[in-house]
Amino acid sequence: MAVDLNINGKRQSVDVDPSTPLLWVLRDNLGMTGTKYGCGIAQCGACTVHIDGVATRSCQVPAQAAANKQITTIEGLSKDNNHPLQKVWIEGNVAQCGYCQSGMLMAAAALLKKNPNPTDADIDAQVSNICRCGTYPRVRAAIHKAAKMAKA
Amino acid sequence: MDMNRMEMNRREFLINAAAVGGGLAIGITWSDESSAAFVNPEPWAQPLIPGTVEFTPWVSIGKDNIVTVRVTSPDLGNGIMTQFAMTLTEELNCDWSKVRAEYAPANRNLKEKNVYSQPGGILGYFSGRSTGPERTASLLQVGASARERLKEAAAQSWGVPRAEVEAKNSVVSHKKSGKKLTYGEIAEKAAVIKLDSEPKPKDAKDWWFLGKASPVKLQLPLITNGSAVYGIDVKLPDMVYAALMQSPVHGGKLKSYDFEKVKNMPGVRGVAVVDPSEPRAALDPKIVPFPLGLSAPQSAIAVIADHYWQAKKALEAMPMEWDDGPGAQWKNDAQVVKAAKDALDREGKKIEVTRGKPLELLDKQAKVVEGTYYTPYCDHVTMEPLNGTCKVTADRVDVWHPSQHSQQGLFVTAHETGVAPENVYVHQTWVGGGFGRRVYSDDIRMVAAVAKKFPGRPVKVIWSREESMRQGRFRALEAAKLRAGLGADGMPVAFHVRSTGGPGKSVRYLADGPHASGMIENVQVESDIIPLNILTGPYRGPGYNSNSFFIETFFDECAVAAGIDPMEYRLKLFAKWPDKGWTKCLNEVKTKARWGRKLPKGWGQGVAIVNWGMGGKPEHGTTVAAVATVEVSKQGVLRIDSIDIAFDTGRIANRDAIAAQIEGGVIFGLNMALNEQLTVENGRIVEGNYHEYPMLRIGDMPKRINVHYGGLSGHERMAEIGEPPVGAVGPAVGNAIFKATGKRVRAMPFRLQDLSWT
Ligand code: FES
Ligand code: FES
Repeated sequence: MAVDLNINGKRQSVDVDPSTPLLWVLRDNLGMTGTKYGCGIAQCGACTVHIDGVATRSCQVPAQAAANKQITTIEGLSKDNNHPLQKVWIEGNVAQCGYCQSGMLMAAAALLKKNPNPTDADIDAQVSNICRCGTYPRVRAAIHKAAKMAKA
Repeated sequence: MDMNRMEMNRREFLINAAAVGGGLAIGITWSDESSAAFVNPEPWAQPLIPGTVEFTPWVSIGKDNIVTVRVTSPDLGNGIMTQFAMTLTEELNCDWSKVRAEYAPANRNLKEKNVYSQPGGILGYFSGRSTGPERTASLLQVGASARERLKEAAAQSWGVPRAEVEAKNSVVSHKKSGKKLTYGEIAEKAAVIKLDSEPKPKDAKDWWFLGKASPVKLQLPLITNGSAVYGIDVKLPDMVYAALMQSPVHGGKLKSYDFEKVKNMPGVRGVAVVDPSEPRAALDPKIVPFPLGLSAPQSAIAVIADHYWQAKKALEAMPMEWDDGPGAQWKNDAQVVKAAKDALDREGKKIEVTRGKPLELLDKQAKVVEGTYYTPYCDHVTMEPLNGTCKVTADRVDVWHPSQHSQQGLFVTAHETGVAPENVYVHQTWVGGGFGRRVYSDDIRMVAAVAKKFPGRPVKVIWSREESMRQGRFRALEAAKLRAGLGADGMPVAFHVRSTGGPGKSVRYLADGPHASGMIENVQVESDIIPLNILTGPYRGPGYNSNSFFIETFFDECAVAAGIDPMEYRLKLFAKWPDKGWTKCLNEVKTKARWGRKLPKGWGQGVAIVNWGMGGKPEHGTTVAAVATVEVSKQGVLRIDSIDIAFDTGRIANRDAIAAQIEGGVIFGLNMALNEQLTVENGRIVEGNYHEYPMLRIGDMPKRINVHYGGLSGHERMAEIGEPPVGAVGPAVGNAIFKATGKRVRAMPFRLQDLSWT
């Protein structure tokens, strides 16, 4: 069955069982592997994308439920690593293995959009992704720095 | 360039092997690639383009002036690729923006007589020891030798003495005449230069780049835009997917299955059964880094389909039955724990260390202290679940894999498929966390075992998170009983350790820490293994991650029994140890954490000091001291205010990279101490996903993780930093909990302990 998806501003029709999680449609059917599989049960956040601007764990969204909504993935966050978060992420040497980081970035981007000046508590609540490498202190610092940059 | 010329160049350009320690040499390639990339989204070695001449394995300089350095150890986030590039840059004096790193193919190593490794040696392709001294020395030599050749080639073309030529920022120049050439422009000539003697790399004190610059990891831009290709991301023409199920009880066997029931489900292509009893190829064990038995296959079944989701659904729907085997005797976790603790009442089968008269003297001392400790099975839970992609044909196998040891992976694949090692190509991808899980290459074997049943097409095998967690090679369960006799001054005169656990447990740090290596005069360390079926393997700081908790909790108990402040107790103890880094680290955290300051009720500070990699010797390995400052509510809720770390690696190369590794190691150690535990039921691992195996998140972090540099002794070694912090954190927090509540935590994970107080 064909499902119509609007991903990073591009409309495409994918022939897939409509109950397939969006995560796997992105990864396997469309080859967009920046969005990661970590747990499959909404625990880790590695699969975070934006659906109509809201940070969403794509392993829990059947493709059909995402049809005709605006989906943004890490590949669509910016063209050339010029999103403020990507810049501070690189400057701050935030990532270690990097596997969780697209999810972290997408969660952080959605947060900043809603709340350009987040407190530590806001970050704790909105960026609850798991990072096994322990990059949390740098993630927090980078989000604050990006918020500051946007104000300046 | 014709063949003859190429052959001649290859011969002449090889640097005297003796000078560079093991046949390292430099080389040159011609490449038209743009110079923008520092490292590719697909980090494995790229095929040489037509017209490329390459002389030697480690370093190439292209016509485009790009320096390519080849890296053996996979970068797991520890920055090893960056480290390689930095080390080379130090002596080659190249422009940092013109350096590119890629992985050194294990196949090439095999074909070219181990140009990158010792035959059978584990370290050549091992991840983890990111600043190994031999590697650093080799790369510095390669850089210096290449630099002098570039200078000599320029000197000859300009008719000036080499001493007047400067090499800097990827340009050779002659000041008097104003002549200049890029490295790329002179590289071809440099390839045929012979030097009378190889230059000596400069002294560490004269370094301009190492220890000064803190560049970010080369792969960061690929991570932040999602383009880095991890194993699970590999895309190949014609690729199919496999979902995997191994015997839920380790060591069990597949009894029956019914593929007919699922074969018409959408996308399903086939089924693959992995039978451990099938004969495997013969392979000379001497050339394989780790024993092949460590990667022995488990009985397994996989469904193959066009997409992973289809494969997974069909696997879940397929009827199957398992013969659990002897592992099923372990009915529940209590039975397992009891078996380990009961074994502590008997003398250990193996006496690891005995020195002086420990047993005779111990009970005669003024005070005897005794404690029994326990650490459970833990999984690495790498964020990238286990996976790999393999294409098997009759005479060639290709594997794309997030390996921690692609050379081991190559031999395991050859062993599994029966294809000669020379015809096995392992393409090292980016790795979503390792921590020891991907070293033995049981994962790559399973990938090959499935793919060989579906030859001719690349098969991507993915472990679900549940499969990944339950089919780990876990940190071994361990229990230990520690006893000490304290003299009139409260210090240990005799020390006695018994440790037990399942296969795979180790006495590292129990048997080779300072306590067992001369600091205490009378010592005995015994160990024993109980017959658990659960598979184990290296987990960040193997052995050490449990044993450091035992030792540092125990010596805290000794300090309390002696009525001496735990910090002072350690300072007194280590004053006798001939490695001043230990007291330096203690004094550093003492000052920086403001040890002993007045704290509110329910708060406490705890200290621990340990060493990873010392192997019984002073001035070896990395010493780490930690002070934890914690708050425990009356109800027993633990909050960690801050962790202060001092460390002694000797020297350091990249300050910020060190800080990042220490932060990560501290958080890993915290998670291990506070949260992690796998339990056993009827021989199976119970926990399967993060809701059952909780992980710290950003909101659970200590307010501060402070990394202090004042513990560095300046000793000439440059020891590793990835694993050491893991051992220091748990006992520091446990000792702080004691200070705050009066409750002694003797078992991990702490979240299961009742910490309430009145
Ligand atoms: S994979 Fe979706 S939350 Fe973990
Ligand atoms: S950077 Fe490795 S899991 Fe987060």
